[in-house]
Parts: sequence; C-alpha cells; structure tokens
Amino acid sequence: MQLYYSTLRGMVRAVDFVSFEVGHLETLAIVGESGSGKSSTAHAIIRILPRNVAVFSGSVKFDSMEISKISEEEFRRKVRVGGISMVFQGAMNSLNPVMRVGDQVAEPLIVNKGMSKHEALKEAVEALQLVGLDETMSRRYPHELSGGMKQRVMIAMSLVLKPKLVILDEPTSALDVITQTNIMNLLKRLRTERGFSYIFITHDLGLASELADKVAVMYAGKLAEIGPIEKVYTEPKHPYTKLLLESVPTLRVDRQPVFIPGTPPDLIDPPKGCRFHPRCPYAIKGKCDVEEPPMYRDGEQAALCWLLEEGKT
Amino acid sequence: MTDKPLVAAENLKVYFPVRKLFGVAGFVKAVDNVNLEIFRGETLALVGESGSGKTTLGRALIALVKPTGGKIYFDGLDITSMSEKQLKTLRRRMGVIFQDPYSSINPGFTIYRAVEEPLVVNKIGSKSERRERVFKALSDVKLEPPEFFAYKYPHMLSGGQRQRVAIARALISNPEFIVADEPVTMLDASIRVELLLLLREVQQKYGTTMLYITHDMATAKYFSDRTAVIYAGKLVEVGPTRTVLSNPSHPYTKALIEAIPDPDPQNRLTFRKVILGEPPSLLDPPKGCRFHPRCPAFMPGVCDTREPEMYPVDSKVRVACFLYGGEQA
Repeated sequence: MQLYYSTLRGMVRAVDFVSFEVGHLETLAIVGESGSGKSSTAHAIIRILPRNVAVFSGSVKFDSMEISKISEEEFRRKVRVGGISMVFQGAMNSLNPVMRVGDQVAEPLIVNKGMSKHEALKEAVEALQLVGLDETMSRRYPHELSGGMKQRVMIAMSLVLKPKLVILDEPTSALDVITQTNIMNLLKRLRTERGFSYIFITHDLGLASELADKVAVMYAGKLAEIGPIEKVYTEPKHPYTKLLLESVPTLRVDRQPVFIPGTPPDLIDPPKGCRFHPRCPYAIKGKCDVEEPPMYRDGEQAALCWLLEEGKT
Repeated sequence: MTDKPLVAAENLKVYFPVRKLFGVAGFVKAVDNVNLEIFRGETLALVGESGSGKTTLGRALIALVKPTGGKIYFDGLDITSMSEKQLKTLRRRMGVIFQDPYSSINPGFTIYRAVEEPLVVNKIGSKSERRERVFKALSDVKLEPPEFFAYKYPHMLSGGQRQRVAIARALISNPEFIVADEPVTMLDASIRVELLLLLREVQQKYGTTMLYITHDMATAKYFSDRTAVIYAGKLVEVGPTRTVLSNPSHPYTKALIEAIPDPDPQNRLTFRKVILGEPPSLLDPPKGCRFHPRCPAFMPGVCDTREPEMYPVDSKVRVACFLYGGEQA
C-alpha cells in the first residue's frame, strides 16, 4: 500500500509500501510514533481519506475480495455493513450531543439494514448491554455520560452491524488508566465471545501487548518490523523496535529507560536509504544511507534492515 | 537533599465556586485538606488521574491560585498572607513548566526574548549579563549552538525543542523550586525519556527542588525521589518512590499500579484485575474516605462515616486509609 498526501509544502509520503495481513480472530497491533503513518494506513483500509490524497496505490483485500477498487456503493454494502468498522481516536467527542445514545447506536441499523426504529433500538440496547451499559443508559444524552462510558457507546456502535474486523484507533488515549484497563478488558472479552479480528493502533507498546497477537512497527511511513508479538517483543530484529522497547519506562522490571537521539524525519523529504539511518546506532556507512533496505523474512517475522542481510547476523 | 522542607502545605484547601444566576451553587473541592512537604533538592512526583486536583495543588504551591484555606510555607515564609508585591519578589525563586509547549511560548517572541523575559520582568542583570545567561540556559538544555536557536521563532522548532525552551525559561532566574506540570505528556514516546533525563540532569546540577506532576506512574518511578498520590482532591499516599511503587499501601495506589501494562506478550492472554467506577464529583464528594465507593477493602461503618487522616505505615510512608490507623483498625 502506498499513500501520499499533497500539501502546500510538497508531497507527504505518509504510507510507503506497507504490507500486512490480519488473520481471522487475530489481532494486529500497529505501533509507531505520531506521524508514522499508522492512522493513515487504517483510514486507507476503510476509505475515509482526506481530499488531498495524491497517490493511493496497492491493494486491500478483505475476505479474499479486492476492496480498494470497487465502487463506493459496493464498498458500503459489502464492507461498511457487517464487514469492517472503526472506533476512532478521541471518539468521546464524536457522539452527537443532541441525540440519545441509544438512537445513535441504532442509526446504522435503520440506515443500512432498513430495520424499523423499534427493532433497531432493541438491537442497540443489546449492543449496549454487551459493552456493560444497562438499558437506562440508552435513553441518556452524551453529556450525561463519563468519558469511559462514551467510549463504551462508541464500541457498541461499531458492533451493531456485526463486523468481522474492528479497527481501533487509539481507543483509550484520552482516558484515565483505570478506565483504560476496563475498556481493554472489555475488548478482550468481546473478542472471545464474538469472534472478531482487531487492528489496534496505538503508540503505547505496553497497551499493544494487552491485545496483540501480531505487531507491526511503523516508522516514518514505512513498516520497520512485523511479526508475532512473542518474537517482536523478545527478539526484535530492527534497531528501531529494539530502541523503542528500551525507551519504555517499565513499572515491574527495573531498567533505566534509554532514549533514541534525534527526531522522526520530515515525510516530505525523507532521508535517503533507510529512513531510520540518521538515528540508528548500527547504521552502516555507504549502505544504509544510500540504498533502501528490503524486507528480510525469518519465519513469520520480518524486518526492513540491512543488518539482516545474509552473513551479517 | 536535606531534611528541611523548602515548600510545605498545611491543611491546604482550594475550592472553586460554581455560580448560578444569583449567588453560588456550591464549591468544587479541587484540593481538600492537603498536608505536604517538599524537601530541598528532591524531586517529588505528584501522581493522579485527570480531575484529581494535581495541577491545582501544583499551582497553589507557587501562588498561581489563591487557596481557600490552610497555609503554604516557602522557605519558612507564609505565602498565603503575602501581598501581591511581596509575592512578585518571591516568585523569582520559583519556576514553572507547563504541559503544552505549543501554547506556553509566545509565538511572536524569538526564543531569545522568550527565555530572557523572566530576567527583564524581574529587572535582573544588565543587557550583556542577561545575554550571557540566556545563552548559558540554552546550552544547559542542549539547544546547541545557542546562537543558532536564540533567533528562531517557536514555530520553527519541534515539540521537544519547544519544551527545552520552556525548561530554559524556567531555569534562567536560578529558581530554587520548579513545578513541572506534565512536561512530557504532549511529546512522542521516543523523546519523552530524553527530556526527563535532561530535566533530572539540570535539577541535580543546580540542586533545584522539583514538583513533577504526572499521571504516568512509570515515569515517576525513574525520575523522582518521593511520590505523592492524589485522589479526588485528597492525598492518599506519600512515600519514597521505590517503596510506593513496588509495595503500595493504599488500595487506590494498588489499583492504579495494577492498571498499568508493561510491554509483555503474556498480557493479552489474561484479564487485568481492575476496580470499577469513576472518580467522584468534587462538587459533592462521598462522605468519609473519598475512595470508599470503589474500594475493594471497604469497611462499612468506618470508611463511609469518618475521613481518614494520614497514618504512618513506617518512618517514611504515610497513608490515608483506616487499614493503617484510626481507632477501629
């Protein structure tokens, strides 16, 4: 997948040749810093891109069906309804303040499935119960709910159409830690009860490990490393993954956190060669700063780094 | 670190009136009966969730908010009874770093002017002396070479660099006490640690006393000496950071620590033990201990009738919980 935005300052290479798969009942966490392209990747999957997209190429397959090239109407019928849904970042502020939350959760059923209001509300109440909100809550307005409850409403709303894949974009970033943990427990329970796949976007490596079976690490619009979480977290192959893991202050293990010197690059004019080379302690002169590294695969784990070239590891 | 407190709060109360059409509908008790001492040369982390009163407490300690009751002592001087003029002289000895580096620096000022400002306002030094101090402060926060950064405008800098400017500005008047209010929350994960290390370095270099306000227990662990946990406007636990985090006493502290995930592939396989509910409204907080409606160790008839005081667990840790004191326990 390739996704460039055109801006007044030039072309922003937000997502550059990113590939991944999410299996049935599997959770993929996309981790990365702000501006690494993780949200853009998700937006491209469900086609909610801003108007300034200049280049969008590659393919998105869902249930072995190519969905990036089908018409908008077909996309709505086949993907938005019962296919993929999304819970947005800061979602608590995306509820309609003058509509009862039950009606908001029911709306997609009326619009997309042609249900009667009565039927739709019944299902909405069920969805709300599933996320731990009782019937009386459905008659409340958003301002009567706390942040955690609003986020539960948003999750309920993403569930009513019975999707197969739910994309969670920083679903807890505005919440307090205890509320966050409650939401994470809810997501874990729903996964086993309802059989979803998740794409979980976050910048928090600790939080990612609460859900992820597989982890994709993004840096400056590129997929730096991908693999099963046991592999990526314990034997990271890419220097960026390794440093990122070491930069997390841990509460249970005593380990002085390190930092990665420098700042992420400008995506209008990314560094030549490997995009991480200016900050990488292992950069090979004359190689990493000249040529882009390919993906080296080792079983299910793969990383974009010259160090993995045959004979160097 | 010495055992003389530089800053001390005694039964500190900060209430904000909630107004209605005629008169006052009630008070938000943002900080209620807080007793806290910050010793010279130490970093005290003040940890709490949003709305717990941590920012209000921090602001009250440097006289940015007027307390409703109680006393605050700075180097033995009672600042609650001072006039605005006396406060102005005293504020030279204090510094503050705010959360958002995008709004705390005047966009029309060059970095030089922004950092020089505290000296100008307080009429410290001649022009050339000030110049020397600005450049020194900029190199202290590793904005090097300082001549290069001094004449830039804030919009030309990244978030991390702006926050360094904010640190330089807080340091320039050689304050004895700095309040850092969530200084790294707005920054990316990979530069947070770098900035906290820098803050720690300058704090130790100049022997500054610091109040580090945060919601992130894990950073408190690596960048503070003592930790105070605040819940719904009241302190619940104070003690050496290592002890509080590895062996928490108050049920709330325990719950807060349990809720934080470290990166561990095993996490996804288990559910995390967690308390339910939300922090209470500070307009009408629960009677007795403010945590009792959510507390797993709730003792009916005790916790919901009387407010716990700060009871000592050992010589260094104090906890506001009847499990550790009061006649019933």
